[in-house]
Amino acid sequence: MSVALRSAEELTAMRGRLRVFAEYDRDVHETAEVVVIGSGPAGAVVAYELAAAGRDVVLLEEGPPFTPGEYELEGGLSMAKTMRESGLRMTTGSIVPTMQAICLGGGSLVNSAICVRPPAWVFDAWSELFELRDTTRASLEPHFDAVGEMLGIAPTPEEVQGPRNLLFREACGVLGYSSEPIERNVRGCRGSGECFTGCRSRAKQSMDISYVPHALERGARVLTSVQVQQLVPDGNRIRGVTGQVVAPFTGKRSHAVRIDADIVVLAAGCMATPVLLQKSGNLANRSDQVGRNLQFHPGVAVAGVFPEPIDVQFGATQGFQSLEFLERGFKLESLWAPPAVVAVRTPGFGHELLEHFADIPRTATWDAICSTHRSLGTVRARRGRSLDPALRWHLHPEDVPLLRTALHTLAQMFFAAGAEQILPGVARMSPVLHSLEEAEALLSEAVAGRDLVTGGNHVFSTTRMHGRPESGVVDELGRCHDLDNLYIADTGIFPRCPSVNPMYTAMALARRQAHAIVDRL
Amino acid sequence: MLFAAFVVSLVVCFALGARRFLLGYPPASESRRHLAPREVALLGAATDAMFPSGGAVPVAGSDVDTPGYVDVWFGLLHPGKRLQVRLLLVLFEHATLFFWAPGPRGWRRFSSLSLQQRIEALRGWYASRSFVRRTVFTALRSVLGIAYLGHPTTMRHLQVAPYVIASPVLDADLLYPPIGRSLDEIAYTAADRTPASDGTPIDLAGPVDPRYAERPL
Repeated sequence: MSVALRSAEELTAMRGRLRVFAEYDRDVHETAEVVVIGSGPAGAVVAYELAAAGRDVVLLEEGPPFTPGEYELEGGLSMAKTMRESGLRMTTGSIVPTMQAICLGGGSLVNSAICVRPPAWVFDAWSELFELRDTTRASLEPHFDAVGEMLGIAPTPEEVQGPRNLLFREACGVLGYSSEPIERNVRGCRGSGECFTGCRSRAKQSMDISYVPHALERGARVLTSVQVQQLVPDGNRIRGVTGQVVAPFTGKRSHAVRIDADIVVLAAGCMATPVLLQKSGNLANRSDQVGRNLQFHPGVAVAGVFPEPIDVQFGATQGFQSLEFLERGFKLESLWAPPAVVAVRTPGFGHELLEHFADIPRTATWDAICSTHRSLGTVRARRGRSLDPALRWHLHPEDVPLLRTALHTLAQMFFAAGAEQILPGVARMSPVLHSLEEAEALLSEAVAGRDLVTGGNHVFSTTRMHGRPESGVVDELGRCHDLDNLYIADTGIFPRCPSVNPMYTAMALARRQAHAIVDRL
Repeated sequence: MLFAAFVVSLVVCFALGARRFLLGYPPASESRRHLAPREVALLGAATDAMFPSGGAVPVAGSDVDTPGYVDVWFGLLHPGKRLQVRLLLVLFEHATLFFWAPGPRGWRRFSSLSLQQRIEALRGWYASRSFVRRTVFTALRSVLGIAYLGHPTTMRHLQVAPYVIASPVLDADLLYPPIGRSLDEIAYTAADRTPASDGTPIDLAGPVDPRYAERPL
């Protein structure tokens, strides 16, 4: 979709349909055909598609819209501003940090914009294991195509790859692994490497500058700074939602909010949607699957130090990937993050730590996201008024060899590309490895799950879809088995992890779901 | 008699506890909005030991005002997480009661130890066989590391200070006001719009963002 300049009148009308925190001076009570909770990639797509079809839509978002002047340029403050629980959310059990954004556009504001269509075998497995006969790659292609056109999804251009990403390609080439520039929802990337803190170039097509404005243009109402606290049940239907206006950053609650709607779409994210259902009287849970089956793509990373500086700051945040080992269970990516974030996993202290920091200009970081299907967890509502989830997750011992293999593969790649040394980030072994021979230790069974520094930024399956009502929360179109007019549209409906970055799939499924809702209304 | 001894013991314990936990810290600085003096002292002492002078990065922990950064960070932190970080600081300050630092009076609070004792105390956490102790150490190192690496001076030395990037003015910028402001306070009008990014790579020889440019420590 081309982005034509809108007239001043059109923009004024769009502003009239947007509410920000300072605009609320009384309680809010509105009605709509559809209320969508959450403005992340899935929620924004649903809101736009419904509005484009002429339906009356209200889109609710707890966070504020950010403007480029409000982006923090370093990691710590940026996460504190844009992430729930200030970016310090952790699981119990196996301790894994995980994040969820709180801003208009959700995670799309602060992710790497990676858009990958899962291969057909991913959907085939979903279909076979979870009785989802109509969720095939072929059936979703039109939805992928439409989202791709809207967001300008395209391979990362060569001129903004930068040395970090090109070294990744070189490593794959030396070892004979396939690799490709990552497709992203970006138009005009300048290679600033600022995806995680907000794209000052306004090149990343995050939802706040793409789908949300388009939804406003088509007549949707967008209410930011609204925290939904409960769904209002009425027999086997939901009458609407209630909540409160909350101040940005402090979360201080003020005016009451009630939205009555014919259809409610929960797109609050895989960690918040089950909490809302539980807080609303354990809704949609005859299957007892709400909040269960929590899965991540545990991410492991290796830092490699090269002989010469490599202009680390320049280049797309994540510009290259390899799908060589996808069927074996992991996907390889190049990665850049603000040093403050990377430093969390830098070993040592004192002079040793400073020596590693001094190597930052020569250091590239590559990661692997792993499909650990056996490692499951739960999302539970906490007592009291808090809507923050209690997360419990266990890395299954049988999944640990996969992570070890992924780490070892990354080590191989670094040495193939000419790195002098690598930092594998594994406890109880040498923090610095100088050769492939030394890196063999990464495959040792002595490396246990708790020795690995893992991150869990892709989250799935807490309200999974399943063909049978007794085994899942929603059907293939995201409609709750138990409730007539409640839909869920976030990665919680994935029946299990998709093996690739999930945003694109979530948006394609959301588009299909929106069309089903339009057909129904 | 027994009761009197009990009361006296209680008073003595209370006095010792108050002395250890609350007294003897420098007075509060008006520039710190969220941190207590004891937290400022712990952060300063731990930063000196974590990032000593004379290291491979010519910016010592004492150069970067870690407490100043953490104070701003605390202002943005989720209340529950702020409490957790506060408890982390208390734990480190007083864990010397259980894990004595080598050298004389190694049971004193962390911020009262000599630099060498603090380094050894940190080493005890870092190299501990206990997974929990190592994890707690990692948490402290993360807090200090974020502050250290987020400082403009450190970022310049490591060649990762952000460049000046002029953001294009798009339709979205005509929709959203600065956070906390009303829609009437949107900075731009339709006439201010500029072309979207054309994909020209950033200029690696260009100026650093003013917030990260050279200035006195």
